[in-house]
Amino acid sequence: MNRIDQALARARSEKRAALIVFVTAGDPDLSTTAELIPELAAAGADVIELGIPHSDPIGEGPTIQVSSQRALARRTSLSQILDLVRRVRTVSDVPLVLMGYLNNVLAYGEERLARDASASGADGLIVADVPFEETAALSRACAEHGVQRVLLVAPTSTPERTVRIAAASRGFVYCVSVTGVTGARRELPADLEQLVARIRRVTTTPVCVGFGVSTPEQAAQVARLADGVIVGSALVSRIDAAPDRDSAVRSARSFVAELSRAVRSARP
Amino acid sequence: MTLVKICGLTSLDDAELALAAGADAVGLNFVPGTPRAIDVANGRAISAALAGRAVRIAVFRDAPRDEVERIAREAGVDVVQLHGSESPEYAASLPFPVLKVIPADSRALDTAARYPEADILLDSPSGGGSGSGWNFALALPLVEAGRRVWIAGGLGPENVADAVKLASPYGVDASSALESAPGRKDPARMRAFVAAVRAATPARERPDLRGYFGRFGGRYVPETLVPAVEELAATWEALRRDPAFWNELAEERRAYIGRPTPLYFAARASQELGVRVWLKREDLAHTGAHKINNAVGQALIAKRMGKRRVIAETGAGQHGVAAATACARYGLDCEVFMGEEDTRRQALNVFRMELLGAKVHAVTSGSRTLKDAMNEALRDWATNVRSTYYLIGSVAGPHPYPMLVRDLQAVIGEEARAQILAEEGRLPDVLIACVGGGSNAMGLFAPFHGDTSVRMIGVEAGGEGVGSGRHGASLTVGTPGALHGSYSYVLQDDEGQIFEAHSISAGLDYPGVGPEHSFFKDSGRAEYVPVTDAEALDAFVWLSRMEGIIPAFESAHAIAELRRRAARLERGAIVVLNLSGRGDKDAMEAKRLLGERLAR
Repeated sequence: MNRIDQALARARSEKRAALIVFVTAGDPDLSTTAELIPELAAAGADVIELGIPHSDPIGEGPTIQVSSQRALARRTSLSQILDLVRRVRTVSDVPLVLMGYLNNVLAYGEERLARDASASGADGLIVADVPFEETAALSRACAEHGVQRVLLVAPTSTPERTVRIAAASRGFVYCVSVTGVTGARRELPADLEQLVARIRRVTTTPVCVGFGVSTPEQAAQVARLADGVIVGSALVSRIDAAPDRDSAVRSARSFVAELSRAVRSARP
Repeated sequence: MTLVKICGLTSLDDAELALAAGADAVGLNFVPGTPRAIDVANGRAISAALAGRAVRIAVFRDAPRDEVERIAREAGVDVVQLHGSESPEYAASLPFPVLKVIPADSRALDTAARYPEADILLDSPSGGGSGSGWNFALALPLVEAGRRVWIAGGLGPENVADAVKLASPYGVDASSALESAPGRKDPARMRAFVAAVRAATPARERPDLRGYFGRFGGRYVPETLVPAVEELAATWEALRRDPAFWNELAEERRAYIGRPTPLYFAARASQELGVRVWLKREDLAHTGAHKINNAVGQALIAKRMGKRRVIAETGAGQHGVAAATACARYGLDCEVFMGEEDTRRQALNVFRMELLGAKVHAVTSGSRTLKDAMNEALRDWATNVRSTYYLIGSVAGPHPYPMLVRDLQAVIGEEARAQILAEEGRLPDVLIACVGGGSNAMGLFAPFHGDTSVRMIGVEAGGEGVGSGRHGASLTVGTPGALHGSYSYVLQDDEGQIFEAHSISAGLDYPGVGPEHSFFKDSGRAEYVPVTDAEALDAFVWLSRMEGIIPAFESAHAIAELRRRAARLERGAIVVLNLSGRGDKDAMEAKRLLGERLAR
């Protein structure tokens, strides 16, 4: 069984939502990312998304965009990120999902990425600017190499698309909470519950909610209605605000621990 | 363009022959016990070889749903065709686009309505393979209802042209009529079939059903935006066949834009260069550039779609001004994203937009130029997608924009073609136009696409030289990649990170290009060359003095190539050059760059 499935099944058996966190690989540098991953897992992250920095990330808000630029300023590459995953695998079994944009995937090679991601120990892949009906080759390569291709459902997705995306998504279905880009928001949308319910009706694959979830309170709110909670920008800004590596790791760790407590105590 | 699907391929050899004949789509038959049925392994081999070169469609009849999904996945196809009595629920539950086969009878419209998401394949009511043909006009109500309709049953090289003219279908499908023996495709008959379809449809009906021009194009946007581009594509499919829309647009073009623009014989330039130079005067269109053609067309579409808020991105500001103008004309709210660097270089256009009532957002992310303005516009669109119309300014972006903008700009080439025939009594030898995203060039080129004697030359921003790393020559030195919603040539590094482009012309410093140009480049239909900043600046001065016409920096690139190319053309050759815009906006920048040089 794939690590993502295991982690989500474990959370389900503990009658709680899973906590999924996002960090940009290489921000501020790759050795910090390497240090962060086991720390975040120890603090309660069930799954970690590793952002592949891209020059033109149209799905990201300012926080993640700027963090990508920082990583790119150090010329962080996909090969280095896969090396990082390989190194992390010697110390941690936390499920890792690579998240990025198509052009970096194409430059690396779809088939080659699926193979190398699998070999390095990555468990899943999200390509933010590719709708499910495009790049059948990538889906096929992922399936062949046991890399779970996670697909996104948006509030604008039609019922027909929702059915097809949910059927094709592996690991979990990434439910985008709002129309728009990533980034912290003060309030969660009022119709989130219906959106999650709409996806739940058509699939048994776990449904995890991301975009805009930034505080422990919001995480707890989402944990009551979904199988997983995804937090990205809020964590990235903690890391970016820290003056040095040690405090970045400390601050990220304590924030994830807070989120984890909130998620674990959300359902009575 | 009506697509051609050749069905019932049983071998890799036949598949290659079908592609060589020009097929856009192929059918692989997985219905056990039928004459052309193949197994999954064979389907997979054929499918893998055709990846990215044709739409691969797997054919099933009343097979268990899970088996359909399994086989389609294992074979690696793009579309699933359902040939039996599969229910609408069954069709909707498949994680693949569906092509539903229904009989072409009087109930077809109602039957199709039960499968709202599927493409429809109308087949002979007597069942496939009869070779008898049917009343193809029965497809028309469905086509007019905006459905994507394929026709099949009794189609061969002899009757397919008539069928296409009668039904104007999205695609045609043939199998047994193209065989020399059962299960063996006949190359000559396949070629004749494709040629008959092509001849019956105008060339600019491309791209294919998924928005691809060959391997370029597509729809690479976050899921949030997919329903919006699908809605726009459906709207445009319906509108482009709607005479009322074109009549309204024609009146706006005449009364408001000032069309047709003249095709002007540049006598002194011709004398000097030894070729007959005709300038298509888009600089004389309202707002001073070709951009208004597209802006007015899309603003009318936005109005019809009930969207009150329009957003646009702009580089040099000409598209921003055009969008602001069209929105003022139709009473729509307009917001324009422009790189901070460009707001400085094109301060006059910022003022014009504001004067026209638009709000200008100076974009401070990334390189602060056009590519970042487009990123920001896409982010805004994702956020406000339900209320907002995104008015893209070039033949770039996700499907259907490259096609939509081309269709609206094709008025340039349509007029030029008629004008040159009236003036010279024959077609031109050469077309020249500058290419940033590529809308003015595509507008000129598209109506000449089928005129194979006419050479097309696109001129890119060579900046400080293509070896300098500071240029905008995506087609000359770029490599294929995905940017801003489509797959096309882009300027990028080995990791797939996009470069910042550079040009003296803010309208050409874009690191991508419209996908149809990439298709033209690879197919050899058009050639693309770079011109440097310095050459463009010389041409800017040259045309001003030679003809009393100050060209935009963009158009000056085309002029520079004209001067260079003329020496290699036969004396008296006819050249049509698209003068895409006037140079007022660049006058201050030119003054700064030319400095003392003009004081003589």
